[in-house]
Amino acid sequence: MDWHKVWVVTRHEYLVNVRRAGFIIMTAIVPALGIVVLLFGTLFAGQARQLGAFFVEQFDVGSKRTGVVDQSGYFSPILPEYRDKFTLYENEADAEVALMAEEVSQVLVIGEDYLETGRVVVVSMGSGFSAAAVSDSEMVRAFFVDHLLANRVDPALRERAADPMDAEPRVISSGGETQGEGPWGFAFTFVVPYFLAIFLVTTIFTSSGYLLQSVAEEKESRVIEIVVSSVRPVELMAGKVVGLGALGLTQLLVWVASAAGFSGGAVALLAVAGAAFIPTRVLALGVVYYLLGYVLYAILMAGVGALGTTMRESQQLAGIFSFCAAVPYMLSGFLFANPNMLIARVLSFFPLTAPTMMMLRLPLAEVPWVDVVGSIVVLLLSIPAALWVGTKLFRVGLLVYGKRPTMKEIWIILRGEG
Amino acid sequence: MIIQVQDLVKRYGDVVAVDHLSFEVERGGIFGLLGPNGAGKTTIIRVIMDILNPDAGSVTVLGQLPGQAKARVGYLPEERGLYRNLKVLNTLVYLAELKGISRSAARERAMGLLERIQLEEWANRKVRDLSQGMQQRLQLVASMIHDPEVLFLDEPFQGLDPVNVERTKCIITEQHQEGKTIVLSSHQMNLVEALCDRILLINRGRAVLYGSLAEIKRQYAPNTVRVCAPHIPADLPGVVQVEPDDGAFNLALAEGARPQEVLRALLDRDVEIQAFEVAPVPLEDIFVAVVSGEEG
Repeated sequence: MDWHKVWVVTRHEYLVNVRRAGFIIMTAIVPALGIVVLLFGTLFAGQARQLGAFFVEQFDVGSKRTGVVDQSGYFSPILPEYRDKFTLYENEADAEVALMAEEVSQVLVIGEDYLETGRVVVVSMGSGFSAAAVSDSEMVRAFFVDHLLANRVDPALRERAADPMDAEPRVISSGGETQGEGPWGFAFTFVVPYFLAIFLVTTIFTSSGYLLQSVAEEKESRVIEIVVSSVRPVELMAGKVVGLGALGLTQLLVWVASAAGFSGGAVALLAVAGAAFIPTRVLALGVVYYLLGYVLYAILMAGVGALGTTMRESQQLAGIFSFCAAVPYMLSGFLFANPNMLIARVLSFFPLTAPTMMMLRLPLAEVPWVDVVGSIVVLLLSIPAALWVGTKLFRVGLLVYGKRPTMKEIWIILRGEG
Repeated sequence: MIIQVQDLVKRYGDVVAVDHLSFEVERGGIFGLLGPNGAGKTTIIRVIMDILNPDAGSVTVLGQLPGQAKARVGYLPEERGLYRNLKVLNTLVYLAELKGISRSAARERAMGLLERIQLEEWANRKVRDLSQGMQQRLQLVASMIHDPEVLFLDEPFQGLDPVNVERTKCIITEQHQEGKTIVLSSHQMNLVEALCDRILLINRGRAVLYGSLAEIKRQYAPNTVRVCAPHIPADLPGVVQVEPDDGAFNLALAEGARPQEVLRALLDRDVEIQAFEVAPVPLEDIFVAVVSGEEG
């Protein structure tokens, strides 16, 4: 390996791409959003309450006026505190007329057998999902509990029944240490690292996306054969991986610095405080998975990028890697409930999902050591294998012009290209 | 010898692209690598440039393995282009740095070359702003930015208009005069004929003609003389056919007849001879004859 040539490629890739309009726009988006938020905050200062109410109204279906047809007798008359949100109708026909006239956004038809069955028909003009969402609305839930228990139990008990628990998570590790005590502790121990992981995984794909673009453009412009007559493909690939990795880190630094600047340093303090709360093990392993993940994806992106004849074709081919890496995201909901579930453990041993899966799992729970060691070993073994395949694909792909090689052709050329 | 290729074999699956090929290129010459489409010319160049690995055989360039001689060799591939969004000067400097030239030396040499091809005013413009002809000249000088000892030019005249063909010929001739060894692959036989001193004609990955161009042309010359004269007597000894050709006559000679005997007979009969020469055979005719003969 000629390290001087690797450095020349690294510097070239960094300097060329850092001036790209696409990179500048992407990097400027976060500070620009910060400016928008600041302006928004200044303009609406003192109206936060109204603003909050506006957003709650947009997302909480129960916050709009609801019609009620009570055939059970438990909800008539409507308690005074609910009269501004709920309107009682004599029958379904009247309620539906009000619904059509948009006086109410949905109608709850509470049957005679409600107490035995709990059955309530929700009529709405929106989608089936909006009707289903009514049952999850805190307002609607409180309406039911308050009416069922009114004048039957004391007000404190009634209030508690409507909002039975305010969970404060406390996790005990296998070593008996308590983690995430208190709401802030929970935020710093689980939420901040989790979103930090998502953030880092995003930068992995930003950087490897630039790499794919760089290779595809060199191939599309036919300059690549001139370049590989001067450097070995492995040197070219190494220079691109390092240069564009540095580009991704630059973007990350700009985002963090701008966020810190706009918040008067609060974000920087939060990051420092967050980092202090994040267990060292999680932080150190996060960095390891970040580096291993980036190198693996970047090498594969470079190899596959060379196979396409145009940028678009290369992106289509690389889609398989993006899909694999996105699978752990799709499982995020389940991961929050059980970060050590079987499917999560299995995907931690598959090279294309391991970096993302482990970075998402680590902040959420104590991941078994066998998973940590196993996934790192898998990645360490996969990187040389990816380098071997990636370099071959790169070498083969860059010389095939005009049409994308078929799988059979790739296999033949790979066998023939020693 | 600058380049030595011994028993080279290169396969793509079941297809043999280069089949036990051997040849040598002498220092300071212009060597023509010829062949029909798909003959294996580009594969041979890519192996010599260390872009492809051979399946068998050996290649040395300047006495070194191909991968070790990259800094001393320049290459203009058939499929070529440049970074469209990069400035002209920066493009040349980057390509020179990849060949191991320092940044400052690369800038100096790049400006010198740009002056030679009359593009110095375009140094700080983007490549995409250049016309097609300018880009082709830039590609050519990019291959010699590091002052290589050997230059591989794969189809350097492809897609050029007559003016740029002449400019490219001039640049190649200048490089040759500076002592560079040039390996030229081209389909334009007239240009190969004008520039090359030795050639290798390959077909289906095998050598079918190899050696000095003059020797090959002598070997394939038809037994014909071309005479520029007002008329040709009908019963010249040793002449079997007379064909008028653009103000002159082509005289096909009988087997065993020598041109000197025909010339003497013409002088004996007081024919007013303005020019007399053994009819040359265009390289293109040799190419077509050999390749057609190979393909049966």
